[in-house]
Amino acid sequence: MRTGGGWEEVEFNSREPVYLQVVRHFKEMIVAGRLEAGQVIPSRRELGTLLKINPNTAQRSYKEMEERKLIVTEGNSPSRITQDDAVLRAIRAELLGEAVDAFVSAVRKVDVPVEELLDLVKSKYIEALSSSPADVAAEGGAERP
Amino acid sequence: MIELKGVRKRYRGRYVLNGLSFTAEKGNITCLIGMNGAGKSTVMKAIMGLVPVKEGQILVNGKPRGRWIYEKISFVPDHLTMPLSMKMSEGLTFMADFYASWNAERAAELMRFFRLEPGEKIGNLSKGTAAKYNLVLGLAPNSDYVLMDEPFSGIDLFSREMIADVFSSDLIEERGVLLTTHEIGEVEHLIDKAVILQNGKAEMEFDCETMRSEEGKSIVDVMREVYSR
Repeated sequence: MRTGGGWEEVEFNSREPVYLQVVRHFKEMIVAGRLEAGQVIPSRRELGTLLKINPNTAQRSYKEMEERKLIVTEGNSPSRITQDDAVLRAIRAELLGEAVDAFVSAVRKVDVPVEELLDLVKSKYIEALSSSPADVAAEGGAERP
Repeated sequence: MIELKGVRKRYRGRYVLNGLSFTAEKGNITCLIGMNGAGKSTVMKAIMGLVPVKEGQILVNGKPRGRWIYEKISFVPDHLTMPLSMKMSEGLTFMADFYASWNAERAAELMRFFRLEPGEKIGNLSKGTAAKYNLVLGLAPNSDYVLMDEPFSGIDLFSREMIADVFSSDLIEERGVLLTTHEIGEVEHLIDKAVILQNGKAEMEFDCETMRSEEGKSIVDVMREVYSR
Protein backbone atom coordinates (compact mmCIF):
# COMPACT_ATOMS: atom_id res chain seq x y z
CA MET A 1 0.00 0.00 0.00
CA ARG A 2 1.32 3.43 -0.88
CA THR A 3 0.89 5.91 1.88
CA GLY A 4 2.84 8.85 0.52
CA GLY A 5 5.48 10.61 2.56
CA GLY A 6 5.42 11.86 6.07
CA TRP A 7 5.49 8.66 8.06
CA GLU A 8 9.22 8.19 8.41
CA GLU A 9 10.17 11.45 10.02
CA VAL A 10 8.18 11.14 13.23
CA GLU A 11 10.39 11.73 16.24
CA PHE A 12 8.74 10.79 19.47
CA ASN A 13 9.07 12.76 22.66
CA SER A 14 9.59 10.38 25.55
CA ARG A 15 7.57 12.36 28.10
CA GLU A 16 4.28 12.50 26.21
CA PRO A 17 2.03 9.51 25.55
CA VAL A 18 3.07 7.99 22.23
CA TYR A 19 -0.54 7.42 21.13
CA LEU A 20 -1.33 11.13 21.47
CA GLN A 21 1.78 12.02 19.48
CA VAL A 22 0.54 9.69 16.75
CA VAL A 23 -2.88 11.42 16.76
CA ARG A 24 -1.12 14.76 16.52
CA HIS A 25 0.92 13.53 13.56
CA PHE A 26 -2.30 12.57 11.76
CA LYS A 27 -3.71 16.04 12.42
CA GLU A 28 -0.55 17.64 11.04
CA MET A 29 -0.72 15.49 7.92
CA ILE A 30 -4.37 16.44 7.44
CA VAL A 31 -3.79 20.19 7.71
CA ALA A 32 -0.73 19.94 5.44
CA GLY A 33 -2.86 18.23 2.80
CA ARG A 34 -0.83 15.01 2.96
CA LEU A 35 -3.92 13.16 4.10
CA GLU A 36 -7.15 14.14 2.41
CA ALA A 37 -10.74 13.95 3.54
CA GLY A 38 -12.02 10.42 2.92
CA GLN A 39 -8.57 9.01 2.19
CA VAL A 40 -7.92 5.42 3.27
CA ILE A 41 -5.30 5.27 6.02
CA PRO A 42 -2.90 2.39 6.82
CA SER A 43 -4.23 -0.50 8.89
CA ARG A 44 -3.28 -0.63 12.55
CA ARG A 45 -0.63 -3.20 11.78
CA GLU A 46 0.80 -1.20 8.89
CA LEU A 47 0.89 1.94 11.02
CA GLY A 48 2.82 0.07 13.71
CA THR A 49 5.47 -0.92 11.17
CA LEU A 50 5.58 2.51 9.51
CA LEU A 51 6.00 4.47 12.73
CA LYS A 52 7.95 1.72 14.49
CA ILE A 53 5.52 1.61 17.39
CA ASN A 54 3.99 -1.18 19.38
CA PRO A 55 0.73 -2.58 17.88
CA ASN A 56 -1.06 -1.78 21.16
CA THR A 57 -0.08 1.88 20.75
CA ALA A 58 -1.27 1.91 17.13
CA GLN A 59 -4.57 0.40 18.27
CA ARG A 60 -4.95 3.01 20.99
CA SER A 61 -4.22 5.88 18.55
CA TYR A 62 -6.95 4.65 16.21
CA LYS A 63 -9.41 4.28 19.06
CA GLU A 64 -8.68 7.86 20.13
CA MET A 65 -9.10 9.14 16.56
CA GLU A 66 -12.35 7.24 16.16
CA GLU A 67 -13.70 8.71 19.38
CA ARG A 68 -12.75 12.19 18.24
CA LYS A 69 -14.34 11.47 14.84
CA LEU A 70 -11.06 12.14 13.04
CA ILE A 71 -11.30 8.82 11.27
CA VAL A 72 -14.26 6.60 10.42
CA THR A 73 -14.39 2.84 10.15
CA GLU A 74 -17.46 1.25 8.59
CA GLY A 75 -17.85 -2.47 9.09
CA ASN A 76 -14.90 -4.40 7.78
CA SER A 77 -13.66 -1.77 5.35
CA PRO A 78 -10.41 0.07 6.06
CA SER A 79 -10.48 3.23 8.15
CA ARG A 80 -10.63 6.58 6.39
CA ILE A 81 -10.05 10.20 7.25
CA THR A 82 -13.35 11.86 8.06
CA GLN A 83 -15.20 13.90 5.41
CA ASP A 84 -16.89 15.99 8.06
CA ASP A 85 -15.93 19.59 7.29
CA ALA A 86 -16.62 20.79 10.81
CA VAL A 87 -14.14 18.28 12.24
CA LEU A 88 -11.50 19.12 9.62
CA ARG A 89 -11.89 22.85 10.22
CA ALA A 90 -11.62 22.33 13.96
CA ILE A 91 -8.32 20.46 13.52
CA ARG A 92 -6.90 23.27 11.45
CA ALA A 93 -8.03 25.87 13.98
CA GLU A 94 -6.58 23.81 16.82
CA LEU A 95 -3.12 23.38 15.29
CA LEU A 96 -2.97 26.95 14.09
CA GLY A 97 -4.04 28.22 17.51
CA GLU A 98 -1.40 26.13 19.27
CA ALA A 99 1.36 27.29 16.93
CA VAL A 100 0.41 30.94 17.31
CA ASP A 101 0.19 30.60 21.10
CA ALA A 102 3.69 29.12 21.19
CA PHE A 103 4.98 31.89 18.94
CA VAL A 104 3.34 34.62 20.99
CA SER A 105 4.68 33.30 24.27
CA ALA A 106 8.20 33.12 22.80
CA VAL A 107 8.08 36.57 21.26
CA ARG A 108 6.61 38.19 24.38
CA LYS A 109 10.10 37.98 25.87
CA VAL A 110 11.15 40.70 23.42
CA ASP A 111 9.79 44.20 23.61
CA VAL A 112 8.49 44.82 20.09
CA PRO A 113 5.66 46.94 18.61
CA VAL A 114 2.99 44.78 17.00
CA GLU A 115 3.38 46.47 13.56
CA GLU A 116 7.09 45.71 13.43
CA LEU A 117 6.43 42.13 14.51
CA LEU A 118 3.72 41.59 11.89
CA ASP A 119 5.95 42.98 9.12
CA LEU A 120 8.74 40.67 10.22
CA VAL A 121 6.41 37.66 10.38
CA LYS A 122 5.02 38.49 6.95
CA SER A 123 8.41 38.76 5.25
CA LYS A 124 9.78 35.62 6.96
CA TYR A 125 6.64 33.67 6.10
CA ILE A 126 6.79 34.67 2.43
CA GLU A 127 10.47 33.74 2.39
CA ALA A 128 9.71 30.33 3.91
CA LEU A 129 6.93 29.65 1.40
CA SER A 130 9.10 30.54 -1.58
CA SER A 131 12.01 28.38 -0.44
CA SER A 132 9.94 25.21 -0.05
CA PRO A 133 6.72 25.68 -2.01
CA ALA A 134 6.64 22.06 -3.16
CA ASP A 135 6.52 20.60 0.31
CA VAL A 136 2.77 20.31 0.45
CA ALA A 137 1.99 19.90 -3.23
CA ALA A 138 4.47 17.11 -3.97
CA GLU A 139 3.68 14.89 -1.06
CA GLY A 140 -0.03 15.45 -0.66
CA GLY A 141 -2.69 13.22 -2.10
CA ALA A 142 -0.64 10.15 -2.80
CA GLU A 143 -2.30 8.09 -5.49
CA ARG A 144 -3.08 4.56 -4.51
CA PRO A 145 -3.51 1.33 -6.49
CA MET B 1 0.46 -14.30 32.22
CA ILE B 2 3.85 -14.97 33.76
CA GLU B 3 3.69 -14.16 37.43
CA LEU B 4 6.47 -14.00 40.02
CA LYS B 5 5.47 -13.87 43.67
CA GLY B 6 8.03 -13.16 46.37
CA VAL B 7 10.84 -14.94 44.56
CA ARG B 8 14.12 -15.14 46.50
CA LYS B 9 17.33 -16.52 45.12
CA ARG B 10 20.60 -16.70 47.00
CA TYR B 11 23.86 -16.72 45.09
CA ARG B 12 27.27 -16.76 46.76
CA GLY B 13 25.86 -15.75 50.13
CA ARG B 14 23.87 -12.81 48.76
CA TYR B 15 20.20 -12.55 47.85
CA VAL B 16 20.27 -11.63 44.15
CA LEU B 17 16.48 -11.79 44.10
CA ASN B 18 14.96 -10.78 47.39
CA GLY B 19 11.18 -10.98 47.32
CA LEU B 20 10.68 -10.20 43.64
CA SER B 21 7.10 -9.94 42.42
CA PHE B 22 5.82 -8.76 39.03
CA THR B 23 3.73 -9.93 36.09
CA ALA B 24 4.24 -10.04 32.32
CA GLU B 25 1.02 -10.29 30.30
CA LYS B 26 0.31 -11.85 26.94
CA GLY B 27 0.00 -9.27 24.17
CA ASN B 28 2.28 -6.87 26.02
CA ILE B 29 5.94 -6.00 25.78
CA THR B 30 7.32 -5.89 29.30
CA CYS B 31 10.81 -4.60 29.94
CA LEU B 32 12.86 -5.57 32.96
CA ILE B 33 15.24 -2.72 33.61
CA GLY B 34 18.17 -2.82 35.99
CA MET B 35 21.82 -1.96 36.34
CA ASN B 36 24.46 -4.57 35.60
CA GLY B 37 24.32 -7.20 38.33
CA ALA B 38 20.75 -6.33 39.35
CA GLY B 39 19.66 -9.90 38.68
CA LYS B 40 17.90 -9.50 35.33
CA SER B 41 19.40 -12.62 33.78
CA THR B 42 18.73 -14.56 36.97
CA VAL B 43 15.03 -13.69 36.64
CA MET B 44 14.96 -15.11 33.11
CA LYS B 45 16.81 -18.26 34.14
CA ALA B 46 14.52 -18.69 37.14
CA ILE B 47 11.43 -18.52 34.92
CA MET B 48 12.98 -21.08 32.55
CA GLY B 49 14.02 -23.36 35.40
CA LEU B 50 17.71 -23.00 34.57
CA VAL B 51 18.47 -21.96 38.15
CA PRO B 52 16.61 -23.57 41.05
CA VAL B 53 14.33 -21.31 43.10
CA LYS B 54 13.31 -22.53 46.54
CA GLU B 55 11.48 -19.51 47.86
CA GLY B 56 8.50 -17.83 46.23
CA GLN B 57 6.33 -18.81 43.31
CA ILE B 58 6.60 -18.63 39.54
CA LEU B 59 3.29 -19.15 37.73
CA VAL B 60 2.67 -19.43 34.00
CA ASN B 61 -0.94 -18.94 32.90
CA GLY B 62 -1.87 -19.40 36.57
CA LYS B 63 -0.11 -22.75 37.02
CA PRO B 64 3.21 -23.55 38.69
CA ARG B 65 6.00 -23.82 36.15
CA GLY B 66 7.13 -27.26 34.99
CA ARG B 67 8.54 -28.98 31.92
CA TRP B 68 5.37 -28.09 29.98
CA ILE B 69 6.39 -24.43 29.81
CA TYR B 70 9.12 -25.15 27.25
CA GLU B 71 6.45 -25.32 24.56
CA LYS B 72 4.80 -22.14 25.88
CA ILE B 73 7.80 -19.92 26.52
CA SER B 74 10.85 -19.47 24.34
CA PHE B 75 14.04 -18.05 25.74
CA VAL B 76 16.58 -16.02 23.82
CA PRO B 77 19.69 -15.97 26.00
CA ASP B 78 22.37 -13.29 25.61
CA HIS B 79 24.57 -15.63 23.57
CA LEU B 80 23.99 -18.29 20.92
CA THR B 81 23.81 -21.81 22.32
CA MET B 82 23.87 -23.71 19.02
CA PRO B 83 26.69 -25.99 17.87
CA LEU B 84 29.14 -23.71 16.04
CA SER B 85 29.91 -26.21 13.28
CA MET B 86 26.32 -26.15 12.00
CA LYS B 87 25.05 -24.00 9.18
CA MET B 88 22.18 -21.68 10.09
CA SER B 89 19.78 -23.84 8.06
CA GLU B 90 20.90 -26.96 9.98
CA GLY B 91 20.36 -25.09 13.25
CA LEU B 92 16.73 -24.50 12.24
CA THR B 93 16.23 -28.23 11.56
CA PHE B 94 17.86 -29.02 14.90
CA MET B 95 15.35 -26.77 16.69
CA ALA B 96 12.43 -28.26 14.72
CA ASP B 97 13.38 -31.70 16.05
CA PHE B 98 13.32 -30.48 19.64
CA TYR B 99 10.19 -28.36 19.75
CA ALA B 100 6.67 -29.42 18.84
CA SER B 101 5.80 -25.71 18.74
CA TRP B 102 8.39 -24.97 16.01
CA ASN B 103 6.91 -23.01 13.10
CA ALA B 104 9.14 -23.52 10.04
CA GLU B 105 7.22 -20.99 7.98
CA ARG B 106 7.78 -18.26 10.54
CA ALA B 107 11.45 -19.28 10.83
CA ALA B 108 11.86 -18.74 7.08
CA GLU B 109 10.06 -15.40 7.31
CA LEU B 110 12.35 -14.31 10.15
CA MET B 111 15.46 -15.35 8.20
CA ARG B 112 14.26 -13.09 5.37
CA PHE B 113 13.33 -10.27 7.76
CA PHE B 114 16.87 -10.20 9.16
CA ARG B 115 18.41 -10.91 5.72
CA LEU B 116 20.32 -13.92 7.00
CA GLU B 117 22.10 -16.35 4.69
CA PRO B 118 20.97 -19.92 5.61
CA GLY B 119 24.18 -21.48 4.25
CA GLU B 120 26.46 -19.54 6.57
CA LYS B 121 28.19 -21.39 9.40
CA ILE B 122 27.05 -20.43 12.90
CA GLY B 123 30.62 -20.31 14.17
CA ASN B 124 31.52 -17.64 11.61
CA LEU B 125 28.73 -15.17 12.45
CA SER B 126 29.52 -11.63 13.61
CA LYS B 127 28.07 -10.57 16.94
CA GLY B 128 25.21 -8.63 15.35
CA THR B 129 24.31 -11.45 12.98
CA ALA B 130 24.49 -14.00 15.79
CA ALA B 131 22.08 -11.83 17.82
CA LYS B 132 19.63 -11.77 14.89
CA TYR B 133 19.89 -15.52 14.38
CA ASN B 134 19.34 -16.01 18.10
CA LEU B 135 16.07 -14.07 17.76
CA VAL B 136 15.02 -16.21 14.79
CA LEU B 137 15.38 -19.28 17.03
CA GLY B 138 13.38 -17.64 19.83
CA LEU B 139 10.59 -16.12 17.73
CA ALA B 140 9.99 -19.00 15.32
CA PRO B 141 8.13 -21.34 17.73
CA ASN B 142 4.40 -20.80 18.31
CA SER B 143 5.05 -19.88 21.92
CA ASP B 144 2.81 -17.68 24.06
CA TYR B 145 5.75 -15.82 25.54
CA VAL B 146 9.24 -14.89 24.43
CA LEU B 147 11.94 -13.98 26.93
CA MET B 148 14.88 -12.01 25.56
CA ASP B 149 17.97 -11.33 27.61
CA GLU B 150 19.70 -8.10 26.53
CA PRO B 151 18.82 -8.41 22.82
CA PHE B 152 20.55 -5.08 22.04
CA SER B 153 23.72 -5.50 24.02
CA GLY B 154 27.08 -5.01 22.30
CA ILE B 155 25.85 -4.87 18.69
CA ASP B 156 26.02 -2.18 16.03
CA LEU B 157 23.42 0.56 15.55
CA PHE B 158 21.83 -0.83 12.38
CA SER B 159 21.48 -4.31 13.82
CA ARG B 160 19.91 -2.78 16.91
CA GLU B 161 17.43 -0.87 14.73
CA MET B 162 16.56 -4.01 12.82
CA ILE B 163 15.98 -5.89 16.06
CA ALA B 164 13.84 -3.03 17.41
CA ASP B 165 11.74 -3.27 14.22
CA VAL B 166 10.71 -6.79 15.22
CA PHE B 167 8.67 -5.32 18.06
CA SER B 168 6.49 -3.28 15.72
CA SER B 169 6.12 -6.11 13.21
CA ASP B 170 3.56 -8.90 13.18
CA LEU B 171 6.33 -11.41 13.97
CA ILE B 172 5.55 -10.80 17.64
CA GLU B 173 1.79 -11.10 16.97
CA GLU B 174 -0.27 -11.52 20.11
CA ARG B 175 2.51 -12.96 22.19
CA GLY B 176 3.87 -11.68 25.46
CA VAL B 177 7.44 -10.45 25.41
CA LEU B 178 9.65 -10.03 28.44
CA LEU B 179 12.98 -8.45 27.68
CA THR B 180 15.82 -7.17 29.80
CA THR B 181 17.98 -4.17 29.11
CA HIS B 182 20.24 -1.83 30.99
CA GLU B 183 19.93 0.74 28.21
CA ILE B 184 16.38 1.83 27.58
CA GLY B 185 17.11 4.07 24.52
CA GLU B 186 16.09 1.71 21.71
CA VAL B 187 12.89 0.52 23.27
CA GLU B 188 11.54 3.51 25.16
CA HIS B 189 8.64 3.96 22.69
CA LEU B 190 8.10 0.29 22.05
CA ILE B 191 7.38 -1.20 25.43
CA ASP B 192 4.04 -1.35 27.21
CA LYS B 193 5.24 -1.91 30.70
CA ALA B 194 8.45 -1.34 32.65
CA VAL B 195 9.65 -3.15 35.75
CA ILE B 196 12.61 -1.52 37.48
CA LEU B 197 14.70 -4.02 39.36
CA GLN B 198 16.80 -2.89 42.30
CA ASN B 199 18.16 -4.68 45.35
CA GLY B 200 16.49 -7.89 44.21
CA LYS B 201 13.00 -6.37 44.16
CA ALA B 202 10.72 -4.70 41.65
CA GLU B 203 11.10 -1.10 42.84
CA MET B 204 8.60 0.12 40.25
CA GLU B 205 6.19 -1.62 37.90
CA PHE B 206 4.23 0.68 35.62
CA ASP B 207 2.40 1.15 32.34
CA CYS B 208 4.58 3.48 30.24
CA GLU B 209 1.77 5.39 28.51
CA THR B 210 -0.03 5.95 31.82
CA MET B 211 3.21 7.25 33.35
CA ARG B 212 3.62 9.68 30.45
CA SER B 213 0.05 10.92 30.50
CA GLU B 214 -0.43 11.16 34.27
CA GLU B 215 2.99 12.31 35.39
CA GLY B 216 4.66 13.50 32.18
CA LYS B 217 7.66 11.31 32.94
CA SER B 218 9.75 9.26 30.57
CA ILE B 219 11.03 5.85 31.59
CA VAL B 220 14.49 7.36 32.04
CA ASP B 221 13.00 9.99 34.39
CA VAL B 222 11.50 7.24 36.54
CA MET B 223 14.77 5.27 36.50
CA ARG B 224 16.68 8.35 37.63
CA GLU B 225 14.27 8.81 40.54
CA VAL B 226 14.53 5.18 41.61
CA TYR B 227 18.32 5.08 41.46
CA SER B 228 18.78 8.35 43.34
CA ARG B 229 16.73 7.21 46.31
